[in-house]
Amino acid sequence: MEAVVESCTTSRIEVFHRSLFAMNTRFSMILAGIDRDRAEALAAAAERELRVQEHTMSRFDTAGPLANLNRRAADEAVRPPAELWEILLLCREYWQRTAGAFDITLWPLSRLWREHLERGEEPCQEAIAKASSQTGMERLHFDSEACAVRFETPGMSLDLGGFGKGYALDRVAEGLRAQGVEQAFLSFGESSITVLGPHPHGPDWPVGIADMFDPARAVHTFHLKDASLSSSGTAPFNRMAGLESLNQTASPIVGQIINACSGRPIEGFRTMSVASPSATEAEVLSTALLVTPERDRTALLSGFSAISAVEIAYHPSEQDFGARIQWQYGS
Amino acid sequence: MGLAFNGNMDPELSSLSSLGPETRAQRREFLKRLAMVAGSSALLAELPWWSPLRAAPVSDSPSDRVRLGVIGIGSRGSFLLANLLRTPGVEVAALCDDYPPHLEAALAKVKGAKGFSDHRQMLDMPGLDGVLIAVPLFLHARMCLDAFAAGKHVFCEKSLAYSIEECQAIADAHRGSSKVFQIGHQRMFSPVFLRALELIRDGQIGQITQIRAYWHRNGNWRNPVPATGPDPSPFPSLERRLNWRLYLDYSRGLMTELASHHMQVANWFLGARPVSCAGYGSINYWKDGREVYDNVNLVYRYNNGTQVIYDSLISNRFYGMEVQVMGPKGTIEGETGKIFAENPPPAPGIVQLINEIEHGFFDTVPIGGPSWVPELKKDTKGSYLVREHTADDGTAISMAAFANAIRAGKPIPGMMEQACRAGVSVLMGHNAMEQQQEISWPEGFRE
Repeated sequence: MEAVVESCTTSRIEVFHRSLFAMNTRFSMILAGIDRDRAEALAAAAERELRVQEHTMSRFDTAGPLANLNRRAADEAVRPPAELWEILLLCREYWQRTAGAFDITLWPLSRLWREHLERGEEPCQEAIAKASSQTGMERLHFDSEACAVRFETPGMSLDLGGFGKGYALDRVAEGLRAQGVEQAFLSFGESSITVLGPHPHGPDWPVGIADMFDPARAVHTFHLKDASLSSSGTAPFNRMAGLESLNQTASPIVGQIINACSGRPIEGFRTMSVASPSATEAEVLSTALLVTPERDRTALLSGFSAISAVEIAYHPSEQDFGARIQWQYGS
Repeated sequence: MGLAFNGNMDPELSSLSSLGPETRAQRREFLKRLAMVAGSSALLAELPWWSPLRAAPVSDSPSDRVRLGVIGIGSRGSFLLANLLRTPGVEVAALCDDYPPHLEAALAKVKGAKGFSDHRQMLDMPGLDGVLIAVPLFLHARMCLDAFAAGKHVFCEKSLAYSIEECQAIADAHRGSSKVFQIGHQRMFSPVFLRALELIRDGQIGQITQIRAYWHRNGNWRNPVPATGPDPSPFPSLERRLNWRLYLDYSRGLMTELASHHMQVANWFLGARPVSCAGYGSINYWKDGREVYDNVNLVYRYNNGTQVIYDSLISNRFYGMEVQVMGPKGTIEGETGKIFAENPPPAPGIVQLINEIEHGFFDTVPIGGPSWVPELKKDTKGSYLVREHTADDGTAISMAAFANAIRAGKPIPGMMEQACRAGVSVLMGHNAMEQQQEISWPEGFRE
């Protein structure tokens, strides 16, 4: 870790902070050097933006357009509201640009695996095959003239879980910039972070990726300026029940990230953190890179610019789970 | 602090809430645990009516048994009866109702109980320790006064009485008496409301700045009336006997029958009685000959500047029922049993970053990483006050408190004050709406 650098600023800076719950996690916003009334108004505007985005993209908001689409699109072509239509087009574009590694149609598979893994078992081949037949972006048919989509098979269901937080962060950051804000730190559950401008006391925001088993230690530090960072990862399933239940041979190492090709959760205990000028792109790539074999990653990233990425692998057989950088890209 | 429930959700209170005792033996086991918890309570100063529950659970031996009678065995009376039958150390010795179908149905459930159609005859029955009164509101005072005169312990259903004068008469009759009096506001014995009070006293929502309560139903609030039936007297008709809640001669409608519960909670949590109230009510939907309002809307003023806002209607149930206790740091919803933080605390990494910026430091904050579990999902929709919710809303515990208090031969402290405050509050509301003017707490009223 770098040495603590004390800036030449001696006067204490007024820092505004607001945390709130949105999109199933905690959103935090830090603004520096902005008077409180203005900061309150900015926070209120950010919250409104998040509520709108959550309503548009949540599959659980039964009155929302995505839930509506999921209910109806197997029976008829559904014309979603313009903002959701744009999002779906964007998701299709990222699916193409990541060679299918990013895919918003995998819900039937991820649900199947989660339900079985919670009971400590694997789904049978038949069930995997059936769920696989209900997934795949190629089965989501777009009618560009009518701005409508339709599912090819019943049982399909779209999930924007690996997309929404990044997309929403971009919208909030846009709103702040439009209001003349030049410096901010925004975080969604610390798995998606966006910064505006430099750190108040330095040239950039040094954001460390914490070692899951030694959270005060940064395994790698990203230096962000007008950029976003997104992290995805897998973990032993019983990690969800708490660290203490993890032992070295305990449970199969599986996460909730599904490889569309195999129909199975990806293997290994590893995390992928991606920095990008766009929060949406960082979010998309953090999942896509985890799914993509190491040898194909550079080719995938050649279609993107200003990306840096770090994959951290944990080794349960070692003391302290030996967090090590497994793969790295960019600066 | 609290009933030995410290800080975060603890096993003691959790176990209290897991009350699902279907049998007397289970209920005895439960009361044994309850006695230990109640016995070590720091919150007991604010819950004096819990003191009878500190008593050790009783055996089934005749010397431990209290013999009770139930007057009025309609819907509420039947519910109390079912609870009494599972309360350790209680013998239901007598049942009284002047409506024969209700009396017959109740007698069929209780082996050996003696039936009466006149409560005075029941009060003369030798060996009867106490009575539970679950009759129409306008009869509460008469029954309570008769029972006190006969030397009986009394449990009276809410609301206390039909008029402020009658509330005063009951309080006066009981003052100085060694007899137990208890009111049927079961939230006083609900572990959820207890936990809510504990968190409030712990400062978790800050100063109470407003309480908002409502009770919304969608229905005509009527009981079916048979075409023919037994002699309805003392009512002029079966309709009035069975739907007494709808007529002003017998009830004060939504105020006494529903609002009294939440006004009791408001007065209890604020530790005060209202200074005055104002509001409006009307019959705007159920225009079927009823006399009581089908919607009521009131604001109660307290002397520390806090207001309690109450409304009730029976033509829309979307919002259901709730009592919301609000402060600058959070909100408690008593009926749902949840607490909501006004501002969720930031993650430790965020706190570190804020600190560093404030103090002019520039350093790596190890904050990033995948969030495996939707972290703190419970907090997005509030946290439950107790871990397990069960069907009992405090009624089962309140029956045990009544029996224990009788056995100990000591009145339940604080009980009449709670009964009077809630009872008078709702009558003030009724008067405010009827007279369309602000009504003050009755001067000189002695709780």
